[in-house]
Amino acid sequence: MNSFQYVTAHTPDEAVSLIGKNGRYLAGGIDLLGEMKDYIVSPDVVVNVKGMSQPTELGTILLPTGVTNTANCQIGASVTVAEIAAHEDLKKVLPGLIEAASEIGSPQIRNVATLAGNLLQHSRCWYYRQPDIVCLKRGGDMCHAHEGENKYHSLFTGCACLSPVVSNLSVIFAALDVAIKVKRAGKTETLSIAEFYQEAWKNPQTHNSLNPEDFLLTASIPLKRTRSAYRQVSEKSEFDWAMVSCAAAGNVANGKITNVRVALGAVAPVPYMVEAAHHFLEGKSLTDENASKAADLILKDAKPLAHNGYKVPLAHTLIRRTLLALNP
Amino acid sequence: MAAWPNPSEVLGKPATRLDAEAKVTGRAKYTYDVQPEGWLYGMILRSKWAAAKVTKIDLSKAQAMPGVKAAILTGGENRTVRYYGQELAAIAATTKQACLDALRAIEVTAEPLPFVVKEDDAMKPDSPRVFEKSPNVSDPSVREDGHVDDAMASAAVVCEAELRTQIQLHHPLETHGNVVWIQNDHATVWASTQGISSVRDSLNGAAGIPQSNIQVLCDYMGGGFGSKFGAGAHGRIAADLSKAAGAPVKLMLNRLEQGLAVGNRPSSIQKVKFAADKDGKLLAADVENHGSPGIGGGGQTAGGGGGANISMPYIYRFPNSRSKQFGVALNTGASTAFRAPGHPPASFSTESMMDELAVKLGMDPVEFRLLNDPDGTRQEEYRDGRDKFGWAAKYKKPGSDPGPIKTGVGCAGGTWGGGGGGTKAEVQINSDGTVEMRCGTQDLGTGSRTVIAMVAAEAFGLHPSDITVKIGDTNLPPSGGSGGSSTTASVAPAIWDTCQKALETLQQQTGVADARGANWSDACKKLGVTPLSAQGQWQKGLSSGGAGGVNFAEVEVDTETGFIRLKKIVAVHDCGLIVNPLTTTSQINGGITSGIGYALYEERVMDRYTGLMLNNNFDSYKIPNIADMPDIEVILHNKPERGVIGIGEPAVIPVAGAIANAVANAIGVRIHSLPITPAKVLAALGKVPNVTTV
Repeated sequence: MNSFQYVTAHTPDEAVSLIGKNGRYLAGGIDLLGEMKDYIVSPDVVVNVKGMSQPTELGTILLPTGVTNTANCQIGASVTVAEIAAHEDLKKVLPGLIEAASEIGSPQIRNVATLAGNLLQHSRCWYYRQPDIVCLKRGGDMCHAHEGENKYHSLFTGCACLSPVVSNLSVIFAALDVAIKVKRAGKTETLSIAEFYQEAWKNPQTHNSLNPEDFLLTASIPLKRTRSAYRQVSEKSEFDWAMVSCAAAGNVANGKITNVRVALGAVAPVPYMVEAAHHFLEGKSLTDENASKAADLILKDAKPLAHNGYKVPLAHTLIRRTLLALNP
Repeated sequence: MAAWPNPSEVLGKPATRLDAEAKVTGRAKYTYDVQPEGWLYGMILRSKWAAAKVTKIDLSKAQAMPGVKAAILTGGENRTVRYYGQELAAIAATTKQACLDALRAIEVTAEPLPFVVKEDDAMKPDSPRVFEKSPNVSDPSVREDGHVDDAMASAAVVCEAELRTQIQLHHPLETHGNVVWIQNDHATVWASTQGISSVRDSLNGAAGIPQSNIQVLCDYMGGGFGSKFGAGAHGRIAADLSKAAGAPVKLMLNRLEQGLAVGNRPSSIQKVKFAADKDGKLLAADVENHGSPGIGGGGQTAGGGGGANISMPYIYRFPNSRSKQFGVALNTGASTAFRAPGHPPASFSTESMMDELAVKLGMDPVEFRLLNDPDGTRQEEYRDGRDKFGWAAKYKKPGSDPGPIKTGVGCAGGTWGGGGGGTKAEVQINSDGTVEMRCGTQDLGTGSRTVIAMVAAEAFGLHPSDITVKIGDTNLPPSGGSGGSSTTASVAPAIWDTCQKALETLQQQTGVADARGANWSDACKKLGVTPLSAQGQWQKGLSSGGAGGVNFAEVEVDTETGFIRLKKIVAVHDCGLIVNPLTTTSQINGGITSGIGYALYEERVMDRYTGLMLNNNFDSYKIPNIADMPDIEVILHNKPERGVIGIGEPAVIPVAGAIANAVANAIGVRIHSLPITPAKVLAALGKVPNVTTV
């Protein structure tokens, strides 16, 4: 890797003040260090943000007792994936979140990886990661996946880059309509998941909408959807990226679904959602037929490439199965 | 002729590896761990091009960088490179980062040339040529017996398909590498190798060192699978760097280099046609194979110089058969021996077609094999394995399971030569009863140390832990490389011979009629101040060749996601006298693991447009994890009367064929190419819209 300055920040404000124009925050470091070693990113400053004791919310899972429709669960940016996956009370109210967290990496990775790191996970496209290729995302002049080996690439995109979002938490957070609190330009801003990723939809050189100096603080998860589920299929049983993932959340009463949201991962640069599917499902019974129709709506605009056509039937199955898993 | 004792006290009984504790506690030192005084890091600058004419390599900036002690060219400036990863220059420096910085400071001037990295592209008449003066596709090697066309025309059933196997990478967990220390006219080499002698021989003359002045050491090594013979280009480069820098140089490859330049299992594109009569007797086989050894090992010749041929048609007796095999040159790193070279792709395609024939004939696949397999050993194994696997209850019509998740079963067989020879050994027995066995073999991971101790313990009536074993040093009596599943069959007889000679001398010298066991320490006391030493060598009668094995596999396939879950593998193997059932089973478990990777996950992916490898990391070059392992049952047919044979390679051969057959049995459609991925399952089931697959 290239040489860099290493500094430790004790508060978010200090971190933001140290980051500069070409710095990176270091929390779990799972992906950042690999990218630096492969010269994919070469920050001039690495700001260690581990172990910030203030504000305490950064490292905390706040789950209110006596859940009400208006309550939120708040998870700090530096909470580890393992802490989320092992949280017994979360499992009761947000089962889909536990399922999504449990599928991230391996036990060793989950022990170190953080919520923020997973949401900000950079592309795993093998052109982007190839040390001797400078692809469009890395500032090159073309996306090699269009004509090349695009087995793991997107079915939907708004730009010339075909690499999909592979963060598990992004997908379940999209379904749960999570709000992300970010320190930005001296203020605290709240972004929806759509806002958090929309830049990657249109700008091939980004992975999300954050500016380099923006500092992720917390994720606020509404608890009003009492049913949630996450499903993914990878080539291997464990420790493998999803070929397609799906998350769904909503309320089910008397066999009818309301407030439903469905999101797909690994098929677009953002967690992919289609509002028409939500409208279609609203108030309907969660039958295989209805789930299947919703899947048709979500996949309507899919543009399969030479090698990723299998993602269409796979996504269809996952949408159906994830929706049906919402049934109590 | 020499013979093994019957009954035996130690042989054939499970023994824990003598070095198990050293390995799991980290005390065992691998080449990676060796740090001689003043050692330097060594690294290689490799071609970024799949093909290019290099005109200038400027080392001056790199040479001037802090920490850099040597910067060398590895093959001149004006030359053509023909694959991504080919060696261009090398650096020795005091730190890893200094090496990395220096590599990036080397300026290479090159003109990119047209290249081809995919077999289908290379076979086209208008393809760029890998070697300017030779076509990419070689002339075929042809073998023909009987009258194939007549037999096909008269057959009751004929099955025909194109089957494909991928390039598989060895990826031992310890990457290739050496620590080389050249001092004056002597060289000491710590090598991660499966052949210490082959490392010495291939360094002979490098840096002007005669063979007798090269000592190669390998106490422990982290896997080779056929790819770690000789010092390799990287070993010779380490020697040149050590000489240039005047210091020991440790040059270990990284995971990317490991995938580019130290070998792989060649691919195959097999057009296969099998025929049988109405009673199920095989009549004819017609095979045309195009396989790629990459840049090849045979010089700038058509097809990359051979090395990609496979053993087709495999194991069955076809009264009429024809095989045509072509090599296809590619601008990719050369293939090399990989656990049972030529067999797994042959077993996969042959056994796939055997099942197709059985289905067409309406025969049970195991019965169909019993009718056609000429090998008595495999016949026994099929009968035994079939019962233990519960075949009769599990086998049903292909694709007949109701519901989206379907189970299926399959079987397949394999054969291997094995056998041994060419090993010498030495023993020293001290008056306190301690025993040191010395043999210039190495432990590839098969448990050679433990095998040596077991054989000596058997000879002397002692416990394996009483024996000190010295291996992995070319100053010890010579033995061959650990390849061809021949290590145990080569070493065990030499140890037995050595121990028998020592025992005879001990008994004569001390007058103790039977010095073994309870009498051992009394007999040794009588030796006095001069230890007893004896030499021996491999003898006929204690080993033989010809191993057979069969696998049964059970899978569960989700036809809506394409995901395959392996439920069970039963592996039945014969390897003659089983010296240590524990390490034998371990070899078979390892072979099955590798076979599962071959069947379901592993594949080197090259990019057609850049000529570069795309999956240089374990998240994209997918090797099986513990979670992917099925319930594995290993059944050993112990045949002491045959002597020691070897099991490392036979273990991997039938795995992919059995899994492929189980998948076809589950879903009722056959997938003709490895690895069998969810994408291919969905495509085979007709669920993928407008897909182009290969």
